[in-house]
Amino acid sequence: MTDLISIITSDDAARRDTALAAVCNSLSRDELLEAAASLDDFRRTSDNLYHRVRALFFLYSIHRYHLPPKLDNIAGHIPFEGHDHLLNRRFQEAIDVFLAEQDENGPGDGISSALAASYHELAFQTLADQVRKSVRTVRGNQWMFRMGHPADNPLRFRKELLDLSMGASPILRESTPVRMDLSHSGWSDIFFLGMDYPAGAKVVNVSVDLGVHGRDSETRPPVEAYLRVIDEPVIRLTSIDLKATATITSLGEVFDFAKDYLGLLKAAVISSGIVPPGIEGSGQRLEDLLASLLGPGKGFELVSSVNDIPKGSRLAVSTNLLAALIGVLMRATGQTTQLVGPLEESERRLVLARAILGEWLGGSGGGWQDSGGVWPGIKLITGEPAGEGDPEHGISRGRLMPSHHVFDEEEIPASARQALQDSLVLVHGGMAQNVGPILEMVTEKYLLRSDKEWQGRQQALNLLDELIDSLKKGDIKALGKATTKNFYGPIQTIIPWATNLFTETLIARAFQHFGDDFWGFWMLGGMSGGGMGFIFAPERKAEAQEKLAEIMVAEKRRLEHALPFAMDPVVYDFSINPKGTAAVLLGGTSPLLPPNYYQIHVPQLLGRQRESLSETQKQDLLHFRQAVDERKEFSRSIHELFDNILPKDEQKNATSGSLTELLRENGFDRELHEDIRSDIREGRLGLSQNRLSTTTTISDVEEDDVLDTLEIDTSGAEAVGQQALSNGEVAVITLAAGAGSRWTGGAGTCKALNPFAPLDGQFRTFLEVHLAKSRRATKSCGMPIPHIFTTSYLTDGPTRRFLDSVHNYQYPGPVLLSKGRSVGLRLVPTVRDLRFAWEEVAQQKLDEQQQKVRDSVRAALINWAEQTGECTDYTDNLPLQCLHPVGHFFEVPNLLLNGTLKYLLENRPQLKTLMLHNIDTLGANVDASLLGLHRMSGDGLSFEMITRRLEDRGGGLARINGMPRLVEGLAMPDEEAEFELSYYNSNTTWIDIDQFLRLMGLTRDDILADETAIIQRAVRELANRLPTYVTLKDVKKRWGHGQEDVFPVAQFEKLWGDLTILPEANAGYFVVPRLRGQQLKDPAQLDGWLRDGSADYVKSLCEW
Amino acid sequence: MKPAKALITSANPADKHLPLQTIVDAKGETKTPLQILLDEIFAAGLESAAVVIAPGETESYREAAGPHADKVEFIVQSEPRGYGHAIVSARDFTGGDPFLLLVGDHLFRSYTEKNCLEQILEVAEKEEATISGVQPTRESHLNLYGTVSASLIPGSKGLFDVSKIVEKPTPTLAEQELFVPGLRAGRYLCFFGMHVLPARAMDLLSDQLASLSPGESLGLTATLNHLANSGKYLALQINGKRFNLGRRYGILRAQLDLSLAGPHRDEVMAMIIETLASEG
Repeated sequence: MTDLISIITSDDAARRDTALAAVCNSLSRDELLEAAASLDDFRRTSDNLYHRVRALFFLYSIHRYHLPPKLDNIAGHIPFEGHDHLLNRRFQEAIDVFLAEQDENGPGDGISSALAASYHELAFQTLADQVRKSVRTVRGNQWMFRMGHPADNPLRFRKELLDLSMGASPILRESTPVRMDLSHSGWSDIFFLGMDYPAGAKVVNVSVDLGVHGRDSETRPPVEAYLRVIDEPVIRLTSIDLKATATITSLGEVFDFAKDYLGLLKAAVISSGIVPPGIEGSGQRLEDLLASLLGPGKGFELVSSVNDIPKGSRLAVSTNLLAALIGVLMRATGQTTQLVGPLEESERRLVLARAILGEWLGGSGGGWQDSGGVWPGIKLITGEPAGEGDPEHGISRGRLMPSHHVFDEEEIPASARQALQDSLVLVHGGMAQNVGPILEMVTEKYLLRSDKEWQGRQQALNLLDELIDSLKKGDIKALGKATTKNFYGPIQTIIPWATNLFTETLIARAFQHFGDDFWGFWMLGGMSGGGMGFIFAPERKAEAQEKLAEIMVAEKRRLEHALPFAMDPVVYDFSINPKGTAAVLLGGTSPLLPPNYYQIHVPQLLGRQRESLSETQKQDLLHFRQAVDERKEFSRSIHELFDNILPKDEQKNATSGSLTELLRENGFDRELHEDIRSDIREGRLGLSQNRLSTTTTISDVEEDDVLDTLEIDTSGAEAVGQQALSNGEVAVITLAAGAGSRWTGGAGTCKALNPFAPLDGQFRTFLEVHLAKSRRATKSCGMPIPHIFTTSYLTDGPTRRFLDSVHNYQYPGPVLLSKGRSVGLRLVPTVRDLRFAWEEVAQQKLDEQQQKVRDSVRAALINWAEQTGECTDYTDNLPLQCLHPVGHFFEVPNLLLNGTLKYLLENRPQLKTLMLHNIDTLGANVDASLLGLHRMSGDGLSFEMITRRLEDRGGGLARINGMPRLVEGLAMPDEEAEFELSYYNSNTTWIDIDQFLRLMGLTRDDILADETAIIQRAVRELANRLPTYVTLKDVKKRWGHGQEDVFPVAQFEKLWGDLTILPEANAGYFVVPRLRGQQLKDPAQLDGWLRDGSADYVKSLCEW
Repeated sequence: MKPAKALITSANPADKHLPLQTIVDAKGETKTPLQILLDEIFAAGLESAAVVIAPGETESYREAAGPHADKVEFIVQSEPRGYGHAIVSARDFTGGDPFLLLVGDHLFRSYTEKNCLEQILEVAEKEEATISGVQPTRESHLNLYGTVSASLIPGSKGLFDVSKIVEKPTPTLAEQELFVPGLRAGRYLCFFGMHVLPARAMDLLSDQLASLSPGESLGLTATLNHLANSGKYLALQINGKRFNLGRRYGILRAQLDLSLAGPHRDEVMAMIIETLASEG
């Protein structure tokens, strides 16, 4: 029997570090199943947390990567009951259901995908539970979970803050630097890694003061937290950078994190113990709690500022802000020895523990190095083995809390620190990124000890020593070499997605311009593209700051439609902070908050009756008035105040692409829009109306309904197909009109242009991959295949310019763009639809705290829809983000409307077949056998199906009332029905041109004669026969400095697959290999895609 | 190191009225808290007692001392410069002897035959050490008491070896530094309001006082820590209950507890029920 368990339990490190893949590759299907069964037994009985977790990852890996290729295309059935357990986070129950199905009906690709997902989720849940438990049991945090009544509150505000002898409350200000990490040794600061492999958890990070180059005259700690006592029994929170403020009057509001932009401040209030987590849901009054803290009738005000440092800087701004806020609150309540000045080491550690708690409460989670700004200077942070007395002892090898060694000047002399400052150019590239999936990938690879990645991790640890050594010597050139080696070596070995085309281009251009004076690249944080470091010879630093700003802006302009950018790039000035976090008490007769605080509050106070203002508020107005006269930093305040208060002419500021113009240019049908609005408002259209009637009978298709191309001899068909290709009878249509909402989280870039992965040594766009497949097919048949990309108002211009710039990737045949001829205007959704989407549709429940945050966000969004007006036009965003494409049904009719088909028929009269596919179906190519089968079938439309895996959601092929047809996921009357369907629609379709024209009541002559009116009528009539769906799409709205909000907006669409409703469409269905039909919809899929053979399959179809 | 002298501090301007209130003790007799405390002191076999008071309070305190007035010395603290200063004001009284230190705003009730003072004096007789009476106290009351970091002496009953004393800690600090193995989660050993201090304590306080600027206050915690660091320092878990009269409803709580333990229990119970009933 194959002993995978001993890899987990062995005391021998070499055995323990054996790569799972190395063992599994040589195992047969039955051996793998046997090993999986043993592992499952083992993980159920083991009382060691990390043994269990590792076994779970092994099981995930077996079912995700090793078993499927050995299953001989057996699809299998996924029981809905298991899926339902999975959605509700009952992972154990889900696994039991899936294993029972496997036992009863044998293994299959589908059931393995379900088991893989379940094991994966259970592994992460187990790890997250452990971190949470450790956070709660850190000494100094425990009491907060026991306190449930104001009378039990042991904290009191310090007397100094309650002292009104000068006529105004003093203000306590905490100033905190941010941290930049020289190396995180392969993301070893992820809690899970540090707790399992403390010896490998090592980070060097530096506390820095910042300024934006060209904007700020000097550097300073960018993070500030202010606290003062006020004469109202409330908590007033203000974020200066987010221009948000809230007055909290109840305990429930403190725990409502996502209600506004003040979640971080609320998390600080809770994790500092002021409103301890134990009091949540107690039904007690905030006023009573504040009375016990401060005395009756009093409250406090907490203000945050990050000096407009943009989000995504990779400098852990938000964690250090959380730490600063916690610090100031702890000082105020006597939880530190000193009210002012720096903190003691034990206090810093407690702030770290509280910040970890706060991040967990807020539903996020950084690494343990992120609070680095609390410590001074340059420090080595290391994982610590769990000893007796630690809450983790006996559970995990390492402790949750690392230890910090601050390098003194004997270790790293002042000259070396200066040299670092003189050479490093710190920037924010402007990209918007989500590091979450990367951290999951790292954890997974670590626990699987994937061979290459494990070696990379060891190499990263060696490089850390090299980095520290260079730093100690002040040899910044060597440091640059080491950070570059780190980036191109271990970092990308472990996670290839840590880099991207933007970063690579910046590095190449920096090298091109500065040659040997460019000493190296330094990736900050979890991935590149946002905060980054470039190291130069000191004499060229000033020049490099200017040049990099120029290069970054130019590259952003070039790539902004291809990659998601949240903001324009910036260059920072920085200096090493020698103190860490520190506080001062601002006293005197008129202590002031920062100028921008008053820009938020003064307009509100002026709008109220003077009698209704509290004494503090009256004083604030007075102090502000005095400051405007006397303080330099307030000199422009009155002007800015008026600028904020007085209305602006929005039209005057609008750019050329105003919404009205765009609507006119893109065929917006106002009449149709009003009809749809009215239908949605009256409840005739909506998410629930998308669904087929509950009386519909839905069943899986029968054997004869599909042609399983994997089971038949296709040599005859291949010959037919080859002949058609050689005759030039085929063209390819790639659907590239969409933004790929899931790919960029609604950022509104063009998915087709996204350089999504390095293939054969270069980042390739989706566009390039599709052309590379057609190039290869062209080469084999000897006749250039026309390749058409459909585009929309959003993607047409950028795609056109991009293709021009790359000369169509030297594609030998015609490359055509077919621009959409109609566009819709998004609507604010109805509360009915929002509730339906969130409450009626089954969806993945999140981890407890994250779910709380999500519920809070949703409550806020429902409020937004009500306040803004249900079904009103969605116009509060960039014009392009307000429009929507009207569904891919229209893409083929568009070829008729915009003259593309006419052009093709004129130049290629023999054209008979079109192959249409989605932009993300990377394995779809002009396969001669499938073409031949389509031709031989005589069908008007041949749709390609794949067997279903758990992640393939969104309908499929079904018998609806006895008739086979495609059914969209949003039309399924219930969730369960979808799980009875064996096949998922890849949407790749072979189209017989003449039959399609006949379906529309048209002929080739109508097309060639460009009979616009006839064609338009034909399109409208066909469209009217198809259902209209209302969908909710997430749209990002960007604001401030890299901030993004996501709004669900309503839009309508008609879908291509619904043509199968029409018997005269004469649709047929092929079952094709999964690798051909699967879709790449989410960047989180990339790693698996690269590892499971999908990428190799695609490469095998391409010729670059 | 059994002391023969007891010292009560009662000079804090905020609390000086407390020992002068009227209360019915566990025997059903009406007394002042000061008299109840003095009853226990002399019942425990101590020979003399002194009370440190604020200026101008001598007569009222003498009156409140009742039958003990003649055996008690009243020492005036010249200026309000803290707890430590109040103690050192009685240096002439304690002379070179160890002494029992009590606070005037506390009353005690023992759960055993021996009163609370007798319990600590019994240990003092056997041990050559500084001894503080302590009681496991919920973390929500930490802001009221001095708290010790200590470990149980193996084989002993309720006797701890003290390593550190922190005055009114936050629970955050208590969890990190004042954790006592064996106590329930969220409970710490807090002062009971009585200490047996060696004569050296007075020397230490005097030395510290000399190093202070005029007007600066002197506490006791630094001295206690010094004693813990330089010699044997024990904490005895008193088998009884302390009443901090200075807390909100402190006198009411003490009175209720004493009356329910005494001969008027039924009367008090009836009174409580009547009050509750009339409140609806």
